[in-house]
Amino acid sequence: MPTIKFSLKDLQNLVGKKLEIDEVSKLVEYGKGELEGYDKDSDEVSVEFGDTNLPYLWSIEGFARLVNGVLGGCKGIPKIEIKKSDYKLIVDESVKYVRPYIAAFVAKGHKVDDYLIKQMIQLQEKLCESYGRRRLKVAIGVYSYDKIKFPVHYKATSPESVKFIPLEFKKEMTQQEILEEHPTGKEYAWILKDAKKYPILVDSADSVLSFPPIINSNLTGRVVSGEEHLFVECTGIELEPLLLAMNIMAYAFYDRGFEIYSVDVKYENKKITTPLLFNDKIKITLEQVKSLLGLELKNSEIKMLLEKMGYDVGSDLNVKIPSYRKDILHPNDVIEDIGIAYGYDKFDEIPLTSYTVGETSLLVKFRNNIREMLIGLGFQEVLSPILSNKAVLYDKMNIPDFGTIELTNFMSETYSCVRSWLLPMLIDFLSKNKHFEYPQRVFEQGLVTVHKGDSVVDYERIAVVSANDKADYTEIRQVIDYLFRMLDVSYSVEDCEHDSFIPGRVGRVIVNGKKVAYIGEISPKVLNNNGIEVPVVGLELNISELFEIVGKN
Amino acid sequence: MDEERLAQTLHNYERKVLSVLDKESTVSEISSKSGLKDIEVMRGLQWLENKGIVKLREDVKEIVELDSNGEKYREGGLPERRFLKFVKKDTPVSEILKEAKLSNEEVSVCLGVLKGKAAIAIRKDKELMVSILPQGEKILQKESLEELFLKKKFPILLSELTDEDKFALDSLRKRKNIVKVETRKIRKAELTEFGRKLSKSGIKFEETYDRLTPAMVRDGSWANKKFRRYDVKINVPLVFGGKKQHYARFLDDVRGKFISLGFSEMFGPIVETEFWDMDALFMPQFHSARDIHAAYYVKEPKYGKLDNYIVERVKESHEIGKGTISKGWQYKFDVNKTKQLILRTQGTALSARMLASKELKIPGKYFGIARCFRPDVVDATHSADFNQVEGIVIEEGLNFRHLKGLLKMFAEEFAETDQIKITPAYFPFTEPSAELHAKHPELGWIELGGSGIFRPELVKPLLGREISVLAWGLGIDRLAMFKLGIKDIRELFSHNLDFLKDVKVV
Repeated sequence: MPTIKFSLKDLQNLVGKKLEIDEVSKLVEYGKGELEGYDKDSDEVSVEFGDTNLPYLWSIEGFARLVNGVLGGCKGIPKIEIKKSDYKLIVDESVKYVRPYIAAFVAKGHKVDDYLIKQMIQLQEKLCESYGRRRLKVAIGVYSYDKIKFPVHYKATSPESVKFIPLEFKKEMTQQEILEEHPTGKEYAWILKDAKKYPILVDSADSVLSFPPIINSNLTGRVVSGEEHLFVECTGIELEPLLLAMNIMAYAFYDRGFEIYSVDVKYENKKITTPLLFNDKIKITLEQVKSLLGLELKNSEIKMLLEKMGYDVGSDLNVKIPSYRKDILHPNDVIEDIGIAYGYDKFDEIPLTSYTVGETSLLVKFRNNIREMLIGLGFQEVLSPILSNKAVLYDKMNIPDFGTIELTNFMSETYSCVRSWLLPMLIDFLSKNKHFEYPQRVFEQGLVTVHKGDSVVDYERIAVVSANDKADYTEIRQVIDYLFRMLDVSYSVEDCEHDSFIPGRVGRVIVNGKKVAYIGEISPKVLNNNGIEVPVVGLELNISELFEIVGKN
Repeated sequence: MDEERLAQTLHNYERKVLSVLDKESTVSEISSKSGLKDIEVMRGLQWLENKGIVKLREDVKEIVELDSNGEKYREGGLPERRFLKFVKKDTPVSEILKEAKLSNEEVSVCLGVLKGKAAIAIRKDKELMVSILPQGEKILQKESLEELFLKKKFPILLSELTDEDKFALDSLRKRKNIVKVETRKIRKAELTEFGRKLSKSGIKFEETYDRLTPAMVRDGSWANKKFRRYDVKINVPLVFGGKKQHYARFLDDVRGKFISLGFSEMFGPIVETEFWDMDALFMPQFHSARDIHAAYYVKEPKYGKLDNYIVERVKESHEIGKGTISKGWQYKFDVNKTKQLILRTQGTALSARMLASKELKIPGKYFGIARCFRPDVVDATHSADFNQVEGIVIEEGLNFRHLKGLLKMFAEEFAETDQIKITPAYFPFTEPSAELHAKHPELGWIELGGSGIFRPELVKPLLGREISVLAWGLGIDRLAMFKLGIKDIRELFSHNLDFLKDVKVV
């Protein structure tokens, strides 16, 4: 979730009001944010804005604009003026198959300092990383306007054909070299993985501006303190996100005191002038407001609340949305803002009155009965993570994999698959408690997941182990016998083979012809594998299957 | 405790010890007077000390003990005396050795000792011949200091030896395994002031019984027996029974609470399609929460099975908001992606399944306790798996004020407070959305969970019509940690038996 940092003094400047940090903490709630911290010495405020659909808040200027509305400094859609210009950006059709869209504007007449550059980079990065899905959807470049000769050309060329000096480097490199050698190139090379030609932005003097979406050139793409005129562009794979990103940037520069000039982007067969203030419209009704919020508000009250939140409200609740927002899909999105402006504190709660009977499944009751009986026998319950690994599940248990859900992107080998049976959890448990006195008698009840052919099946299982000097088959057989007698289930036990147990001392428990459990003495090989030095007996019972047979009555 | 009552709690050992303890005494003194074994005396003394009746003291003393040869010589006399008895004039050593039943080693010691005392003369012929001297005759008449010393009662305190004893000890210590000097702790017991008072108070220490036996019950003999009064305040050895795992107990309680509030439990698979985990919740496929890093993907099988009809409805809702007045997310929905199998990342998947289920009742209240998984490095705040408790309330005509009422109820039930604060929040599937904070009586303001009203774009495709659905999720792992007093989230799944046995039942 994006966290932005800015100075409190700067916020006060932009809002034109003295604000205490406690007030800021309250004000960020209007943007669904949370104050993370404030460092008095450096005057730095950190705020987390979690709404990924409201990227305009990822800049101090955007947040200040919201605050301005809330505090009454601005009513309705905040002002912006975009001047017409002759700046042209010509899009070559060669970009069609790699990164087809671009939008741009020019900002003039305000001196940038180090703080402002930092804020600019912060917004640019958040837009590219979070909203732009790590530059795939949105990649933004800011350039020193004075060094550019318009018109600018956006095209795609073969990877080795153009050379320029990228930011942070001193030597000229081809685009291919940048992807292979430059740290930023390596980080974002994945975006161009399948591209045969790479995008490039050059001016009419053929000087390279940048290699979108990777890196700017060192010559034009570096903005330093003291400059006053900037060129801003944005490339991507769909047009709409670019338009939004440019509107957010243009608004931010405008709020800072820059004059904003549009750029004509010429495609093969169309022309788009950007920034494009789309000012979407949506109609809401009193009925909708009442049914969602439970508030009976008058038109005038709604108008007042929405104007606070930066909307224009026309007659009949026709709402105009500011052009730095694209998150309004449904009237409810606007109505939420009415609620926020009204104040969540002020809502009177209504208790729920409809009568419903709460219940859980019979399976839950069934498994809880079994747990209860095992506790009665003196067993301690254990809970383990469901994620496990094949060494614990199979290698150490002396059996082959019988169908496991493995993860492709696990964080550590220890948690690289979903457990397929439960007994290994308890053997692992025993191996971790060798220092503790015996007897150790524990059980676990929980889900296991087995990969069977094309399907994936979850089972509720229960596993029981007893580790002590005299542990033997009789002890564990008594446990299953007790459980089944109390559950009023008749069962039989048959000889079987299972390499986790001692041959000839492992039984398959059968109920109604269905195999529902293994019981037996754990193989000394398994004990050795787990460093356990006392005999262990155990069982694993498939509660889901047993329930299918007997539990439903 | 009054003295008489105290007297009744005394064990037979204690009473016997007490009856012979008038001055400070050692354990062996007490045992010889009372007829108890040393170990019984020790027990009695320990218990009396616990009751403040006696005071125990340990002295570290050097004591002299007989060693193995010493025991032998004490009975049979020192070898040199036995040797001397057989010495006449020019008696061959081999003859003496035989007669006196001495070992070679002992013979050579005897020769040395006796010669040193001028008791014999030695001549070497074919073999060694010895003759007794006048001094030797004298020695035969009376016992030596060493012999007298050996006959004393051992052990003897080193500090209590006379000069003559010391001389004898020094000479014997030079020889093999006759005596040894050891440091030893000597326990001494003495009545405390309270003990003296008790002892003098004239309380009768009657014969008491420790155990009520089945025989006494049967034959009625219990009626004229006195049973020793126990010290009921005594500490006893620890015992451990089987019990529920702490976190499992907590979740059982949570389940019970929801059921009592009229909620029914929902269930769903751990291995889930992206469809139910995210798409059905109207999270656009390009959403940043759907990054490859946000979910665990399954190696095999890669895709799950879905009902095409419902996938189509959800797809249209994403793309153009079809079915509602929404304009949708305006992108191309990828049907292949939606079938991909992942591990469930959020409990809300259960709510989505419930909305599409034939089991759904309206009005209805539902909850689910869902084990969820997100790729994270496991540490004190991130567990490999975690639980989410999520749910919905579905009913015609519910609004944000009902949501607030619901949240207040949760705060009362789960954080024991009615002081709540709800703040604007963002969740992809609710509009409006709110975060619930509650003022916990001990911990202050804590974040309890998230909530909101499901978007119509979500409800319509799953249920077939629009209706208000309140949705909520509680950070149940954090609540469990508060409740159980746990700082490290991994302890919810602790594999430490010590901890499990010891963890409190709360």
